[in-house]
Order: sequence, then C-alpha cells, then structure tokens
Amino acid sequence: MSLSGALYLAAAIFCVGVYGVLSRQNLLILLMSLELLLNAVNLAIVAFGRSYMVAVPDDPSGPQVLVVIVLAVAAAEAAIGLSILLAVYRKWRSTNAGEIDMLRG
Amino acid sequence: MDAITFYLSGILSLVAAVVVVTRRNPVYSTIWLVAFFVTISIDFLILRAPFLAVIQVLVYAGAIMVLFLFVIMLLNLKPEEILETVTRSRKAGAAVLSAAIFTILCAAIHESPTVQRAASLTAPLPQGHPLANRDDTVAIGESLFRNHVLAFEISSVLILVAIIGAIYLAKKRRPSSPVETAPLGPGGSASPGGAIETAPAGGRAEKGAFAGEPVGARQS
Repeated sequence: MSLSGALYLAAAIFCVGVYGVLSRQNLLILLMSLELLLNAVNLAIVAFGRSYMVAVPDDPSGPQVLVVIVLAVAAAEAAIGLSILLAVYRKWRSTNAGEIDMLRG
Repeated sequence: MDAITFYLSGILSLVAAVVVVTRRNPVYSTIWLVAFFVTISIDFLILRAPFLAVIQVLVYAGAIMVLFLFVIMLLNLKPEEILETVTRSRKAGAAVLSAAIFTILCAAIHESPTVQRAASLTAPLPQGHPLANRDDTVAIGESLFRNHVLAFEISSVLILVAIIGAIYLAKKRRPSSPVETAPLGPGGSASPGGAIETAPAGGRAEKGAFAGEPVGARQS
C-alpha cells in the first residue's frame, strides 16, 4: 500500500467537493461540500504523516496534531456558516445561493 | 488485508461523497455525509491514527451532523423551496473544472519526488522509533502541548469567537422599542390578535410577571 494511492483518493474526494461547491445552489449542501474538502485534506495529511513516520522520527505525531486543529477550524466554520444560513433564511426566506444576490455589482 | 480495507473504504467514501453533492434533498445529503465520515475514519484507523478516527466520528458524525440536521429541521423547508435553478451548462462547467483540478493533482502526485521517496503506508516502525512502544494518543497530547502550544491557544480563541459570532448571528432580532413587544405572547411571530388568542396562558403569565403584586398579596 503506497502513499500515492491514498493521495489519489484524497484528490478525488477533493474534486468531488469542488464540483459540489461549483454546481449546487442550496447553502446547506454548499457547507457539506466544504466539509468534504476539509476531509480530503485531512486524509492527505494523515497519509503523509504515516508515510514519513519512519524516515523523519522527530515529532511523528505532528501531522495528527495539525489534523486536530483543522478539525477545530472545521467545527467553527460549520457553526458560523449554519448561523449565517439561519440569518439569511430569516431575511430572504430562501436557502438558495442564486437568489441572494444583493452584493452583485 | 490493510490495503484491501483501505481501498474498499476509499471507494465507499468516494461513492458517498458523490451522493452527498448530487442529492436534491439536504436531509439525504446529511445522512450520506455521516457514511462518508465513517469511511474516512476507517481510513484513519488503517493509517495508524486511532485517536483521529474516534475524534472524526465524535466531532463530525456526532456533533457537526447533528448541527446540520437541527438547522434543516429548524428551517422546515418545503419541497418547492429546495428547488435549484442550475443550468446544464453550469453543471458541465463545474464538472470540467473539477476534472481539470483532479488531472493537475494526479500529475503532481505522479511526478512528486517526495511521494516517490515515501515509505509504504503499512511499514512497521523500527525498534528505536519514538512511537514504537508508546500509545499514539499520549504522543499526540505531548506533541500538542509541547511543540504546538501556540496553535492550540489560537484555535481556542478561534472557537470562542465562533461561539460568540454564532450566538449573535442566530439570535432573533427584536423590534427596537420594548413596549411594542410586551403585548405579544411568547409565540412572537404571529399577528398580535392571533398570538393572544392562541396562547392565553403565556399572555396571562406575562401579565402576572409584570404586575407582580397581586399574586403575592393573595398568597399572604
């Protein structure tokens, strides 16, 4: 089992997330696509960390610490994103990103 | 065995991710996202990150997904409200762009000397390795509080800011003068007459709370 297999998997998940962000209009599904992106990156970080655990033995848990911090950021992002969604829904009665175009120039 | 499990759960997570971004109803997307997180946590287990696997299920599949489901239930979207107006050409453009990104990433992974030099993902640790005879979770804790304390502190401030921001954003805005809100029942959103008619108990309780005196006088 090689590192490149895990990285290809992470790249594929990342691109599915990019497709979701670009092609959907429902704000809830946009936020879920962002979670997909973050998870793909987490998978790549953990795979790199496992692969270089033997070759670079100082601080072998560093990548996993990085993933823990990414997790905290993802939780904060989800909470803020969902409360923005609630505020937007109260004002416009819609969760469709295509209809919320007040800032369009 | 490890490789088979890894690739199997990898394929499953890819399928779940595709289903998440293609469902029309956000509830189905959320359920499939839970499946996606579980398969990713299986991958973490195989990559020798048991702590992260547990945290993945606890935080993502437990907390964040419950948050999503709560918001979906709070919004109570009708079927016509989740209709999207994405054109075919825009979907095709998104597919082409993400395929292009995938191609570039694959080329970079294929060419990268760092990836070519990398050891196998299932290579056993040598005898003198710091993690050879230790618990992974203990090692993560020590690394977090010795080498990466600054990042830890900054993320704690970030979470505090996120909590305050989320409470402020999700709070219901009240009309500026408190006198106007007083006659409304706890229902709040309905028209004033309807609110009083449908919630007489709330109105009475509020009146009692405002008057204060008669209840205590009757008791004594």
